[in-house]
Amino acid sequence: MRNLRSLGLAAVAAGYFCGVSGPVFAASSETKPVSISFALMDDGKEVGCGAPLANLGTGHLSAKLHEARLYVYGFKLVDAKGKRTPLALEQSEWQYGDVALLDFKDARGGNNPCTPGNPAKNTTIVGKAPAGSYVGLEFSVGAPVETIVDGKPVSINHSNVETAPAPLDVVGMAWNWQAGRRFVTFEFDPATPVVKADGSKARTWMVHIGSTACKGNPATGEIVACAHENRFTVALDRFDPKTQRVELDLTGLLASSDIAADKGGAIGCMSALDDPECPAVFAALGLNLGDSAAGAGDAGKQTKPGVSPIFKAGAMTSAKVMGAKQ
Amino acid sequence: MSRGSLFGLTLAVATACAATAQPTEWKWELPKYVPPPRTPADNPMSEEKFQLGRRLFFDKRVSGNGTLSCSSCHLQERAFTDGRVVSVGSTGDKTPRNAPSIVNSGWHATLTWANPALVTLERQMENPLYGERPIEMGVNDANKAEIVARFRNDADYKKWFAAAFPEKKPAEQISFETIIKAISAFQRGVISFDSRYDQYLQGKIKLTEAEQRGHDLYFGEKAECHHCHGSVNLDDQFVHAKTREAETPFHNTGLYDIDGKGAYPEPNHGLYDITQDPDDMGKFRAPGLRNIAVTGPYMHDGTVATLEEVIDIYARGGRKIASGPNAGDGAANPLKSPLIVKIDLTPQEKADLLAFLKALTDETLLTSPRFADPWKTQAAGK
Repeated sequence: MRNLRSLGLAAVAAGYFCGVSGPVFAASSETKPVSISFALMDDGKEVGCGAPLANLGTGHLSAKLHEARLYVYGFKLVDAKGKRTPLALEQSEWQYGDVALLDFKDARGGNNPCTPGNPAKNTTIVGKAPAGSYVGLEFSVGAPVETIVDGKPVSINHSNVETAPAPLDVVGMAWNWQAGRRFVTFEFDPATPVVKADGSKARTWMVHIGSTACKGNPATGEIVACAHENRFTVALDRFDPKTQRVELDLTGLLASSDIAADKGGAIGCMSALDDPECPAVFAALGLNLGDSAAGAGDAGKQTKPGVSPIFKAGAMTSAKVMGAKQ
Repeated sequence: MSRGSLFGLTLAVATACAATAQPTEWKWELPKYVPPPRTPADNPMSEEKFQLGRRLFFDKRVSGNGTLSCSSCHLQERAFTDGRVVSVGSTGDKTPRNAPSIVNSGWHATLTWANPALVTLERQMENPLYGERPIEMGVNDANKAEIVARFRNDADYKKWFAAAFPEKKPAEQISFETIIKAISAFQRGVISFDSRYDQYLQGKIKLTEAEQRGHDLYFGEKAECHHCHGSVNLDDQFVHAKTREAETPFHNTGLYDIDGKGAYPEPNHGLYDITQDPDDMGKFRAPGLRNIAVTGPYMHDGTVATLEEVIDIYARGGRKIASGPNAGDGAANPLKSPLIVKIDLTPQEKADLLAFLKALTDETLLTSPRFADPWKTQAAGK
């Protein structure tokens, strides 16, 4: 419940400007459109769609991108004094309330790298913020427990995938077993199959991050508590959306992982505490998998607030090969 | 208000209702000792919804490749289980666990073998529908619209969905939301309270001497079966419409101990798979024992073939596996429930217990046309 309360407060703060009917600003305030671009990086290069990936994991292997999707939320612009101003997201099939889905695969399901003619499905967050002088950016990765839409709290992570508005209606990002959503789905097909502990082989090495150990309240049928939150925040002190983009580095994500092997549990890491592949993946994300020390109670929390080593600000490339569909 | 005007009002309401074809009001027909189950506020019961759910439950078109229906793994004559060790999905994947019965599932506090997060039939159903590891029904984002179109293009189904969901606009009557709601309503309506044990509870019959001795053992302090199988559903996760706080216990019954520290074999670590709490290793939900004689093989992983073996395992306080990868003495499992201890049952006592368990079989459930495949009996169109 501790998680829920703090998140709820954050959601209220973040949600103030996030109503579907548009942000509520003082009449004198001017708002301006802001778009935040994301790029998927591998081996120093921008990748996406069906791009071949190089130099992944401890074996420096090549692989194909099988899936690359993540929910992000709570975007805030940061001024020189550190004051956070929420970005009111445009409401669309990719954005609801203050939550958005990023999807780096191409719409055609092909094996080609992203090009202007074969764009990734959604790599840009679009919103509005009061005109002002901002120097940084903050956002979180995951689907929040709830957020504020039209002044009312709305369940997000545990909402019903059948009736939830887009982009929370994607079955492929539903995590039914935990009664919530997959926050992050990265799946890789290495050039040679993944060898499991028992000698059998599998095609895909997976990273699925979401809240775990979730428990329902049987009195209402609602899910209210997950012991391991597994959400994290990215704070970029210097970020100019006009000239920079947020880069997510797959090389870093898998730097200490061997994607040719699986020693147990799910193939790759699906957020289980006892999965041998999870410690490396969680460390790369900047998340505590289990408690950092006995009794610390910080399992599923970010190791260092605002820091996820695989995210950084990078320069927008002039030749926008990976342009998102807009 | 005068009597005359009140009558007029009633008439007006009745006319309005007739015009919009309101669903038939649902009436739970239950013995006195069974309270009505919970139903979600957004999915009330109606006969039309139950009948639509029945058609869908027995219809292979619900699966991605059209080869599997819910009823493929939940057969009426086996009290809606499938007789297999584990089930097989639409693309050949095997499920990790033994198909549980859907009977009286409307009263379960949690669904499935070991997941505290699945507390409604509606949410539970997303797992067989959308699950990817393993694939069961094989529904996904790519084929969802196509599956819905199968029903939208069927004139009979259009009529049945309209009758079941009159509150929705025609364009929204057929969707996975309504498919799930209808099948859930059917599941809630599959009830079983006509076993010899029920007839005994209702004062209609006397149990045989063996059944009665088995009954006394079951509910007595020697066998103590009732601790985990004591509710009217013969489980310990029984909730109903008026339950305020539901308890959701899970138990390690000493079925395995493969490392001397309590480990159960992959991929079935029980509640631990969800909570990751080491104390939850090997904990599973106690299934209801109604119709238990026809729902073998037994246990979460289907590894016990007969009811006689089940009784033997509990009598020795856990299962001993002599050799192989899962070798170990479950009776010594350090995480085992304190309720599972060695009880020295005589052969006569075991036979009596078995007789009582067989008295839990409800022949009405197994044969009732109300729960039968409507496509076989051509009752689907009615």
